[in-house]
Amino acid sequence: MSDTIQIERLHYRAGKNFEIKELDLHVPSGSIYGFLGPNGSGKTTTIRLVLGLLRPLSGRITVLGLPMPEQHARVLGRVGYVPEQPHLDSTLTVRELIDFQAAFYPTWDRVRAEELVQRFELDGGSLFGRLSKGQKAKLMILLALAQRGDLLVLDEPTDGLDPVVRRDILSALLTYVSERGATIFISSHLVHELERVCDWVAVMDNGRLITEAPMEKLKQGTKRLVVFGAPAEIVNPPFRVLTRESANGGGGENWVVGNWEPAMTSYFEGVGASVRDVIDLDLEDGFVELLRSFRKGGTGR
Amino acid sequence: MIARFRAVLNSQWKWSRLIVVLGTVAAFAIPLVSLQGAARADRGALQAQELLRAVQSWGTLYPLLATALGLLMAIAAWAPDHRGRHIHALTLPLERWRYVLLRFGAGGVLLAAPIAAVLIGSSLAVLTATLPPGLQGYPIALAVRFAFAVFVAYAVFFAVSAGTARTAGIILGVIAAVILVQVVAGMANIDLNLFGAAQTVLLQGPGPLAVFTGRWMLVDV
Amino acid sequence: MFHGIDPRSPIPLYVQIAERVRLAIATGALGSAAPLPSVRQLAAELRINPATVIQAYRDLEAQGFVEIRHGAGTFVRELAPGRRARERSQHAVALVRKMLAEARRSGVSLAELQRALDTELGAKTT
Repeated sequence: MSDTIQIERLHYRAGKNFEIKELDLHVPSGSIYGFLGPNGSGKTTTIRLVLGLLRPLSGRITVLGLPMPEQHARVLGRVGYVPEQPHLDSTLTVRELIDFQAAFYPTWDRVRAEELVQRFELDGGSLFGRLSKGQKAKLMILLALAQRGDLLVLDEPTDGLDPVVRRDILSALLTYVSERGATIFISSHLVHELERVCDWVAVMDNGRLITEAPMEKLKQGTKRLVVFGAPAEIVNPPFRVLTRESANGGGGENWVVGNWEPAMTSYFEGVGASVRDVIDLDLEDGFVELLRSFRKGGTGR
Repeated sequence: MIARFRAVLNSQWKWSRLIVVLGTVAAFAIPLVSLQGAARADRGALQAQELLRAVQSWGTLYPLLATALGLLMAIAAWAPDHRGRHIHALTLPLERWRYVLLRFGAGGVLLAAPIAAVLIGSSLAVLTATLPPGLQGYPIALAVRFAFAVFVAYAVFFAVSAGTARTAGIILGVIAAVILVQVVAGMANIDLNLFGAAQTVLLQGPGPLAVFTGRWMLVDV
Repeated sequence: MFHGIDPRSPIPLYVQIAERVRLAIATGALGSAAPLPSVRQLAAELRINPATVIQAYRDLEAQGFVEIRHGAGTFVRELAPGRRARERSQHAVALVRKMLAEARRSGVSLAELQRALDTELGAKTT
């Protein structure tokens, strides 16, 4: 099985205004897969669908080789989940929450749970409701890691946390990946954090998947070009035109393109134009340009 | 499954500690208080009447206590999950119905305390009282009826607060069907009692909810 | 040694890491038979994907700089002395290329660049 999560032609609707349409997503086994998108784009909903918390209208979801939501009881035994909002009972203590969780997972790693309690400096007797935001996040991560799942699904796990806590969480996560080779599906809008760790990236906006690609390919392929002399209409370019606007004075144009390869400058020469400069974009720039282009009416992928 | 049940029981105990303790104390006290003053065998028919009246009026507390316990235990079982919008429970690796069953069972185990308290309290009350001639104590019948009332109340409120509309609907549907069958049987004069465990208890009328009506008499003719 | 690797750079992280290691080896900062940090340690410390570290180490092994011993770690290989010098000069070339590209981009002419170079180098020796 090469894909840990496989979503095919997913369709889901909630209320009048929110709809996920034609979603196709593939999370390769052992990858760290980043799920990017602005707030309200459908990331959390997609995650809920993957975990069987919601039922799709049509389409197929397969997790760890089994269909969801039908097989959720079997699948969730191997999936660690950290939701966006703390979902644990505020009247139970850290110790009680750990013991509760341990009872439900035969793969529970007691030693690792203890290690993480020490490392995260959590006090076993504290009530969950009294913990700080960062401590709550750490506990939820602890529960997901001690479960020893093959898949970790994290919904904005470090959102709103201070940098120290974020580093602690990220380090613990990466240690886990090094040791277990698990697949991680992580949604976030902290693009720079994802840029460090993800080897795959998917971008979602308004219920649609804009693109899904290996991280390097997306970064290498998204460039800003300074172009002179390009005709108004271009036919069948080998790259994807995301935006095109005239530069401030000088008569040139700034293009932002996707799927770019260095040899493609010859295309411009072929239409009588010239590429004066090829500027690299980091993931955040690329992400912003992709969104802009998509919202203006560009097609998916 | 045992480890899971214990985990669920522990959390449910923590949430409903106060209810169980208070309920047990009340369940123990009511029978004793209802028979206070019934100490002399040389009472005449008039005293017997007074005693029966006292027992009957105190007896109205049993269905109230049973309903309160059922309601509060059901709420305590589900309030925390509701607060977290059930996300935690729904992402545990077991089917929803199993989880619901675990919670129901945990509440049931905890409710054994007040039920036992009724049994012990009423037995104690009957043993230490000297009843006027012609009257008898029915501690076991009372306790069984109380147990039944508690469970019916608990089941009904539990179904409603279990959160998933589908589960609640199914459970209520089953109860309604049983009630319906009981009613039809009653109308057709068929001797049908679907709740065999409650044979010794006063159970006339259309089904399980009738347990709450009528008189709750620890001591009767 | 790995201070300041830039995830935002278009240069893939594994390339950046491998470069740093090669430079450290070339300048002697990493001696022969010196151990490289474990994959787990480096990934957690730098907060990057362990697969990235693995790829960097594999590339270094393919280039002959290190040896991956399963279970024991990754160690610097004994290098021919000429190899180190070659690495250093390659790095110098890369630095110059970067400088020239930057100059071109910002419109500084070669002559101006040469003058600045002389001044700086001259300042050092006086």
